[in-house]
Amino acid sequence: MTHLFINAYFKVVQKDSYQHISDKELLLKFRRDLDNQWLGVILQRYTMLLLGVCMKYLKNEELAKDAVQQVFLKAISELHKYEVDYLKSWLYTIARNHCLMQLRDKTKFVAVSDQTEMIIGNHLEESMLEKEQTLLLLEQSLLELNGPQKDCVTLFYLQKKSYQEIVDLTGFSLLQVKSYIQNGKRNLKILVTQKLQQE
Amino acid sequence: MVDLSNILSNGPEPNEAALKRYLDGTASDAERFAIENQMTDEAFMNDAVEGLQNFKDPQVLQQYVLQLNNDLQKQTNKKKARKLKRGLKEQNWTILAIIAILVLCTLAYAVISMYHR
Repeated sequence: MTHLFINAYFKVVQKDSYQHISDKELLLKFRRDLDNQWLGVILQRYTMLLLGVCMKYLKNEELAKDAVQQVFLKAISELHKYEVDYLKSWLYTIARNHCLMQLRDKTKFVAVSDQTEMIIGNHLEESMLEKEQTLLLLEQSLLELNGPQKDCVTLFYLQKKSYQEIVDLTGFSLLQVKSYIQNGKRNLKILVTQKLQQE
Repeated sequence: MVDLSNILSNGPEPNEAALKRYLDGTASDAERFAIENQMTDEAFMNDAVEGLQNFKDPQVLQQYVLQLNNDLQKQTNKKKARKLKRGLKEQNWTILAIIAILVLCTLAYAVISMYHR
């Protein structure tokens, strides 16, 4: 009887009360207690994103929903076996592979665009932000980017234009805009890092 | 003056509500920038948004998310309930053992005191 009350209590409070806890902390709790409820809390954070990823590849709402269920089952059955540090990336990889396998099974051709090759976690080090000099180097490096990359990076990051507005302003396709921003940012990072090392 | 640090910072992670507003086209400029910034940095976010935009009816999307979360909760609670049940069963045996020991001690005391008398 007691466990029914505990479960009911968990259901009511869990969605809001764990918002301040990071994935990493929840994963630690899960490993410590071996309690799947912690896992449930983390996975719920990614339901919508996973559904989107599966929908992108499978192009079918029902199949996408089933695929997310499979990803959850895999997470529940496997996460206690391995030490996963970045659950978000792990879930993305599992979902993507699951969809690609499904498509392969059906011998359907899948065009994986360059967009999916975006680097996960290719984040510029926060410490770079602290250096005033970095911003100066960034300004110089921005001028060294090729035309489309410079335009798209400037419009997106500095003028805060939306993807669609950039498409309208430049005449590039949406895919091109995304690619120029992504590659421009990556090239900026490389240029700034090189300049910092030279100094 | 333009803020160059926008290029370096990854910005705050957008929440589900902001993402829904982005899909509906009702997100604020700040929310829209945060989401598109994440899309540039993370393939996960980019694929997710592109896929979510393929849902014809936002109501269906919402229903699916709710359904998936409910199933997930059932799945994760089931194992917890099983564990708790097992725990309670184990506890029952412990309680029974303690009671048996106490009864035996009382009987032993009664027998010894009778023998002394």
